[in-house]
Amino acid sequence: MLEVKDLMVFFENALALNGLSLTVNKGEIVGIIGSNSAGKTTLMNTLSGLIIDMRIKEELRGGERISVYGKVLYKNKDITLTKPDERVKMGIVLSRERHPIFPESSVVENMKIAGYLRTKKEIQETMQYVFELFPGLTKYKKKRAGFLSGGEQQMLAIGMALIVRPEVLLLDEPLLGLSPMMQKSVVDAIRDLNKSIGITVILSEQFARPVLPMIDKGYVVENGMLTLSGTGQELMDNPEIKAAYFGV
Amino acid sequence: MLIGTIIYALINSVILCLIAMGFNLTFGISGVANFAYGAFYILSAYTTWIMINSFHLPYFLSVIFSIIFTMALGALMYQVVLKRVRGQAISEVIATFAIGLSILELFRYFGFVGFEYNLPPFIDASVVIMGTYVDVQRIIIVIAGIILVLALWFFTHNTSLGLAFRGIAQDERTALTFGIDSDKIATLAVSIGAGFAAIAASVIIPLGTISPSDGYDILIKALAVCIIGGLGSTGGVIFASFLIGFAERFTDTFIGSHWTMIVSLAAILIVLIVKPSGLFGKQKELEERI
Repeated sequence: MLEVKDLMVFFENALALNGLSLTVNKGEIVGIIGSNSAGKTTLMNTLSGLIIDMRIKEELRGGERISVYGKVLYKNKDITLTKPDERVKMGIVLSRERHPIFPESSVVENMKIAGYLRTKKEIQETMQYVFELFPGLTKYKKKRAGFLSGGEQQMLAIGMALIVRPEVLLLDEPLLGLSPMMQKSVVDAIRDLNKSIGITVILSEQFARPVLPMIDKGYVVENGMLTLSGTGQELMDNPEIKAAYFGV
Repeated sequence: MLIGTIIYALINSVILCLIAMGFNLTFGISGVANFAYGAFYILSAYTTWIMINSFHLPYFLSVIFSIIFTMALGALMYQVVLKRVRGQAISEVIATFAIGLSILELFRYFGFVGFEYNLPPFIDASVVIMGTYVDVQRIIIVIAGIILVLALWFFTHNTSLGLAFRGIAQDERTALTFGIDSDKIATLAVSIGAGFAAIAASVIIPLGTISPSDGYDILIKALAVCIIGGLGSTGGVIFASFLIGFAERFTDTFIGSHWTMIVSLAAILIVLIVKPSGLFGKQKELEERI
């Protein structure tokens, strides 16, 4: 469904992603595992097209030169240069890292804003589903999102991405800064939405332990390069992964 | 005298609010400080005048035409000029100010100055409210102000475009991930802001004459209200216009009319020293939590 071929991304002369290739099939949960500055966010921004927007803005400003080489294919169509809002219309939706929400609007309003491309009826239906998926949000419907805790904001952020009705959902570090309890409920929710509505999920994480058991396929990224790939189980059994991420 | 002062202070406040709202809307959503705002205000009044006097259109149609024309000009300004300097505050200010300056000074150059350049009041009559004479035009201004604030509130809370406006205003990049095109929204924001200037001009100008130098005055007033209220905050704008509106009228009545001019400027200074983000500026407590 989504295919990345020899992707290279430069910020000025710094190489953020180097010759990265990966394939994502429909209905899979794919994990991108890597430490800080491995290139996870750059990869997510490239898949969602945000990098194209960043490049245009930096170009206008005369700032950092961002170059993208290689190909991103979605449903066998080359979308390497497609703008982010076009990609959203195609069904690729990103939930950015650090639970991006609109802090001054209420929880319900946040989801309405996210539903820019959807009709009122569709928003209502999905909102119902989001509140079933995250029952914890139900009591904060009218509360301003900025006052929610980090975990609740992350749930809301995922919920907002779901409102767009994505075919491919990109989650950038959904577990960042969450307590183990919250991590578990977010992981459960991701698994649930993958099973029940069949959304393809690509998530990047540095916490391998909670993520590995649920993914169909994982890619380990270090310094912008792919070092390992395999099914979740294969990665869990890999001694290097154990040493680097489980501290065994 | 006190009641009369209060009534006129109220009207003055609504006038300030009308003037500042468009500027605030544009800044709040797109981050563009539209320094051509005063020029749009004057331009729309001249457009109405030209439509009435040169093309002999009915008054009402001329007003509608000038509002649409000003909005189109705002959108054009974004697409042609602002798009290229987007995100660089100083360049945006210089570009918009230059455009405003050219519009205003062109009118002056072509001799659009004098008492014959005025718009007739919508209804030429006056009523007595609690012993004070108030002309109907001023009441129309108050009604227009209330309608505009309510319409804006409804728009930003109940339509998907209005909600997208608020999304972009809070976090542009996140809004982008939901398919909200920031250039399109910013074009609309500048255009609707210009439209607000045109609406304000249409109801306020009939109180006096049209003159290019008023353009600068309008810009300073809009800036004063927005800075005091906190840029980008609608509630702040309404509060600040009442604050300045009352302060001006009361200074005029009880201290002396020549002191009125410094009220808004002094208020800017005080607010900038005491609370630089404005009285209702963005709340600090809502800053990112991790």
